Amino acid sequence: MKALEVRNISKMFPGNLANDNISFSVERGEIFAIVGENGAGKSTLMNIIYGIYTASGGDLLVNEKEVKIRSVEDAIKLRMGMVHQEFMLIPRFTVTQNIVIGDEPHKGIFFDYGRAVREVRELSERVSLTVNASALVGDLPVGVQQRVEILKVLRRGAEILIFDEPTAVLTPEETVDLFVTMRKLQAEGKTILFISHKLKEVMEIANRIAVLRRGKLQGIVNKKDTNEEELARMMVGRNVVLEIPKVDVEVGAVAFACHDLHVRNKRGYEAVKGMTFDVHGGEIVGIAGVQGNGQDELVNAMIGFSHPVSGSMELNGKNMRMVTTAQLRKEGMSYITEDRARRGLVMPYTVRENSVMGQHLGKPFSKGIRMDYDKVGEFAEGKVKEYDIRPGDVYDTAGSLSGGNQQKLILARELSLPHNFLIASQPTRGLDVGATEFVYRKLLEEKKAGKAILLISLELSEILGLSDRILVMFEGRIVGETTPDKATEEALGLLMLGVGIDKKVQS
Amino acid sequence: MNITQINLTIAQMLDYTTPILFAALCGVLSENAGVVNIGLDGIMRFGAFFGLVGAFFSHSPWIGLLLGIAIGCLVGALHAFITIRWNGDQTVAGTAVNVIAVGLMTYLLEFVFSTTGYSPQLQNYFGAQAYRVHLPFLAKIPLLGAFSNLSFMIWLGFICTVLMHVLLYHTVLGLRIRTCGENPKAATTLGINVSRVRWFAVVAGAALAGVGGAALSISSFSGFSDSMPNGVGFIGLAAMIFGKWTPFGALGAALLFGTGQIVQSIIAVTGIAPKLAPGLTLILPYVLTLAVLAGFVGRSIAPAADGLPYYKEQR
Repeated sequence: MKALEVRNISKMFPGNLANDNISFSVERGEIFAIVGENGAGKSTLMNIIYGIYTASGGDLLVNEKEVKIRSVEDAIKLRMGMVHQEFMLIPRFTVTQNIVIGDEPHKGIFFDYGRAVREVRELSERVSLTVNASALVGDLPVGVQQRVEILKVLRRGAEILIFDEPTAVLTPEETVDLFVTMRKLQAEGKTILFISHKLKEVMEIANRIAVLRRGKLQGIVNKKDTNEEELARMMVGRNVVLEIPKVDVEVGAVAFACHDLHVRNKRGYEAVKGMTFDVHGGEIVGIAGVQGNGQDELVNAMIGFSHPVSGSMELNGKNMRMVTTAQLRKEGMSYITEDRARRGLVMPYTVRENSVMGQHLGKPFSKGIRMDYDKVGEFAEGKVKEYDIRPGDVYDTAGSLSGGNQQKLILARELSLPHNFLIASQPTRGLDVGATEFVYRKLLEEKKAGKAILLISLELSEILGLSDRILVMFEGRIVGETTPDKATEEALGLLMLGVGIDKKVQS
Repeated sequence: MNITQINLTIAQMLDYTTPILFAALCGVLSENAGVVNIGLDGIMRFGAFFGLVGAFFSHSPWIGLLLGIAIGCLVGALHAFITIRWNGDQTVAGTAVNVIAVGLMTYLLEFVFSTTGYSPQLQNYFGAQAYRVHLPFLAKIPLLGAFSNLSFMIWLGFICTVLMHVLLYHTVLGLRIRTCGENPKAATTLGINVSRVRWFAVVAGAALAGVGGAALSISSFSGFSDSMPNGVGFIGLAAMIFGKWTPFGALGAALLFGTGQIVQSIIAVTGIAPKLAPGLTLILPYVLTLAVLAGFVGRSIAPAADGLPYYKEQR
């Protein structure tokens, strides 16, 4: 029995064919993955199936009957539910309110909140997804918020569940929980569409996998007949090197050093509790750790966003404890951020403007108060070519680029600034394989050029593959130091969780 | 001051409060659904004039009130059409309503009554003894005595506050209205028709602003003056913000601003005024508004999607 069939679906956006004649069908009780790079048209397709967008052409069949889905109401009536990538939740509402909106228990016109709470509790017990029905959603961790989203669609009686990049916002532990939930739903006979660009996860959970590239369906493969390399090749359209090559470089002088660094977070609590480390030229030092163990505060102190409470911080031998970001940059610090929207780029500005930000003052990009846009344009054009930033028009806004191209733009800018110390904070977060490979390549080039690099990442494979030295961070402290050839993922993982501290990670 | 004077002062204060309250309630409803209606001052001006026209020609303030509601709905529908149907900028659309109201009412005042500045005075208005709500059993009780002889419109303001609280926080529609103001995309994914909900909130809110205007011309005063509503709509917006976008908060803020007005009147009456520049006391309520906003606005949080146009196929 086919739960869902998509026939020749196309979607035209102004100047962009987002979906081009896509056809596939999904069996009932199947976990069907749809993979593709950022901007391949995965989300667009899901939004069409769920009635948020209207297709420019093609047909949809649910339970082998042709249907017209003109609105989300239609989709819900057909027992479809979607867990969106950006959660469709209202932080100021309670869990219960969020779950029942749109189909509220009521007495006449009045909202029966008491009954709603009871219904949510029952549902949560029945499907064993634990939530506190009366908590405010804004106070919950991301993984629990996602549970609220899942409960929301289950309450509407969804039989076909669409998960749009559900793991993008989750920690590794939360991802494990999610997969347990998905398998349980599958066992109950639900059909699941799983959208992702993380091949490892797809290989773990899916039965069949459809690959999209630039709006076109590249093929559908059975999980047991394929592997990550093949999927990556189908996604990107060429061979992708997932293995990170080893690069040996002579280690140079100390570029950055900090001693007994203490940093407070926004709420005034100490989040970095005495860290001492240094980074030499030609070396990548990786900081491994579970999110929220002080990495953000450490980076903020290092880029001059906040000042350490105590301890010392030196860049090229100069004291940098109480200086501004501008002074740090002048001394040779560059910074690649995971938060492209809030820190990396000014989204409504053009590629041209973003490419020189930070070096826009003075020659060659400005004369007095006047910007020299001819020079800026020339520079941006050059960088767009060098870094292959697509679609390649320097007048496009940064916000209109895909995540991977935004990251390339950030790299282009940061690496063109005069620097000898690079902070790369989760530089591949949310990127697809092609863009990830590009970032790795650039980081290794930097290393070859003798720059000192501090890599902060939640992805262990990334830390192990790129770093020359690994520091493990737990609750604001360095709890272990090792090298990739001596460490295993398991040992690092345990140390990151604070298990067996004081013992060496080396196996 | 004796008890009677105090009671009269409170009653007067409530009279000042009522138009501010209606304006604030208009804002509360509209903005909880995510539509800023800065044009509510203009809508009040429409309501004030048409309320007067209705009451004048029918000799009944009830007809005036109905006409005030009707014109409020109509102008609100214009605002909704621009901002919801066509995703127009809400501030620009609202400002347009304000500017249109200024010119059009001045013109209509001359056109209908052949006068300038003031309309003819009404005999039958809600402020007249015959139309007041008499509650003799309260008269003897200190302070509550102020409530024994109030205009119907003041009570209507209180009733609307309670009704709006019930609507927003205890009905299905209220939950949906707030959802549209917080996250319209989420509302869409739950099968809620955001446009329809926003249309309702804007039009119903504007009806309240129309009533607020009528409260000036056929309740607080017995006629329309060309300076109406004297910025009361904007004070109402301030009351909405100060009241944190809640009905009872708006009531509290409106009472505070009403008190500002009465203090100004007292200064004028007690003869301190001549020593000050005459215009200076008139600005007191507005200065109070500014002071309160400067002190508190940072601490109140608007609905997350307030003022943002929404269209479904946004990327």
